[in-house]
Amino acid sequence: MSPGARDRADLIVALARLAGGLRDAGVRVALGDELDAAAALVRIDLADPDEVRRALRCTLRIRAADVAAFERVFARTWLGAASTTARPPPARALSRPAAAGGLALLRGALATDDDRGDDAPDGGEPGATAQALYRKKPFDRCDDRDVAVVERLLDQLARRLATRRSRRWIPVHGRGRTDLRRSLRRAVVTGGELIALAHRARPIETARIVLLCDTSGSMEAHTRFLLAFARALRRVADRTEVFAFNTELVRITAWMRLSRLDVLQAKLREAVPDWSGGTRIGECLAAFASRHLRELVDSRTVVVIVSDGLDRGDPAVLADAVRRIRARARRVLWLNPLAGDPRYQPTAAGMAAAAPHLDLLAPAHDVASLERLLPYLRGCGAAPIRSLMETGRASPPGRSIDKRGSALPDPRQT
Amino acid sequence: MRPEIRQLIDAMVGHGYVADESIATAVFLARELGRPLLVEGDAGVGKTEIGKVWARIAGAELIRLQCYEGLDVSTALYEWNYPRQLLHVRMAEAAGQSTEAMEGTVFSRAYLLERPLLRALTRAEGPALLLIDEIDRADEAFEAFLLEVLSDFQVTIPELGTIRAVHVPHVVITSNATREIGDALRRRCLYLYVDHPDLDKEVAILRSRVPGASEALAVEIARFVGALRGRDLVRTPGVAETLDWARALCRLHSDHLDLETVEATLGCVIKDQHDRRSLGANELAGMVGAARAGGAR
Repeated sequence: MSPGARDRADLIVALARLAGGLRDAGVRVALGDELDAAAALVRIDLADPDEVRRALRCTLRIRAADVAAFERVFARTWLGAASTTARPPPARALSRPAAAGGLALLRGALATDDDRGDDAPDGGEPGATAQALYRKKPFDRCDDRDVAVVERLLDQLARRLATRRSRRWIPVHGRGRTDLRRSLRRAVVTGGELIALAHRARPIETARIVLLCDTSGSMEAHTRFLLAFARALRRVADRTEVFAFNTELVRITAWMRLSRLDVLQAKLREAVPDWSGGTRIGECLAAFASRHLRELVDSRTVVVIVSDGLDRGDPAVLADAVRRIRARARRVLWLNPLAGDPRYQPTAAGMAAAAPHLDLLAPAHDVASLERLLPYLRGCGAAPIRSLMETGRASPPGRSIDKRGSALPDPRQT
Repeated sequence: MRPEIRQLIDAMVGHGYVADESIATAVFLARELGRPLLVEGDAGVGKTEIGKVWARIAGAELIRLQCYEGLDVSTALYEWNYPRQLLHVRMAEAAGQSTEAMEGTVFSRAYLLERPLLRALTRAEGPALLLIDEIDRADEAFEAFLLEVLSDFQVTIPELGTIRAVHVPHVVITSNATREIGDALRRRCLYLYVDHPDLDKEVAILRSRVPGASEALAVEIARFVGALRGRDLVRTPGVAETLDWARALCRLHSDHLDLETVEATLGCVIKDQHDRRSLGANELAGMVGAARAGGAR
């Protein structure tokens, strides 16, 4: 039966079947879209399959990334298997210049920065030499006595996040600059006399951060410090959300209020199934993407994944999850404690699959490495991603590590 | 194909915009269904141009709202003309007018500064074409507010009451997809993704917009730029860049691409130093050769 011969009732059935097929294929189609599609179909030439396809793509809001799936479902459900009129155009995935090849290696790019940073007089910088030593002490070599110092350092670090002013002006009371327009408007009430001046100021911007921490066995040495970092972040940015994952994803934001780190860790060990067990990074990130992405992540949110990337699952699942998160977030950073090793290369299957979708892959093995992250954690404004990307592109990741590795202490030798 | 869609393609071509069937179908449906059209695509594929050419075809006034971070209601929708209100109050006082009378006058349409969104609703002569450019640059709060205006085509001003659209405007919203547009707004609009043009379309665009370029030159330029787009560049050249380059080459009286001229004028299409460095002389020569020989990619 040719589509042109369908009467209206058949059309609705065919449309519903198409929409169902699209949903099964993972393409979001709302009822309103179907109604629009139906309204469009009565206005076009139904005998022309190309025109039908174009109209459906327009009204069902098929994004570039979903075109391939749409063409498959359209050919199957609408044109029928026997039809030869289906000429699906070559599918082209929507390329995101910012994310494609967006693998940047923080350590390499900022190595020189760091050398300068040690003696730079900065208010937030720890002054005591003992503290300065701790900044470079790898987490997996810290013992119980070191924890308190490192924790304090992390607190100082996080506080520096909350110092950036927004670009927007908002009305405020009594401080900031005079807002002439609003002052005049107020003066209308008093017959044109300027009595009460209105003010405006640029508010301090708090970052929105979602932290996804791998707490599996291979990460054990780092977990407590990353938790300390997460808690410190939460103190300055109260919208910080924290998740732990190993084989399952657990939202642990509520636990972050606990003041003692050892108590926190003990509680989490009870609450999180399979703590320090194996890892299923891909599944856990996919679970985050489908359950929490819409509510917690928006275009100002920086998503930070902390994991060694040693995944036993399917790399494609991991890559797809990271891609979905990247599509919504301001930025996706991956902190990998292993990347502190100069010989490290992101070759593990999971890491390699996720890398093209990341804005930044950075080490997280000591306080100094976390410190260099600060510009990237700010929700707004441009952190120097571009320059980092160029560095990442100009020299392949592996080489840049080897070349600059000597500038950084090798955690296994110190 | 519906004759109306064919006519629309012809009309767009007549106004200097080479439209393919998907663009024409999307514009046709947006017009028929009275829905805003959300156009997404890389920079330089001609998204804004769709709005402009639609306005010319419909004979509608083009009202453009350029979005940016921090765009707020007083720049997008309306603002009271405070200085004028004050002057009026002063004069009315001098004339001994009552407060009620004064209020009635001061908060009237005459003292309202119409910003683009409100102007698009109140235009009396006929529907306007409202072009909301680069919505992805505005913040989500603005997106939510826009949704309100676009779903009912009405605006409530506290001092004045609700203003309904005299004629529902045609709306084109463009986005470079630098961030995901909210689902709610996406659902309000019909959707069109514009890709970089294929060879034939690009040649047609060049021929229509740069009449000085010979057919052979246009084909070579399109092939060369097509090959560039196939590479992994930081900034992929769009149609605007191609046109600039074609004009530059015409000015230099080139009939064909040759390595020397291409090297001298490449800044028209490659606007990133990293991209420029990634193209060695040998590679460039190869691409020029391929563009001249044709077929080979």
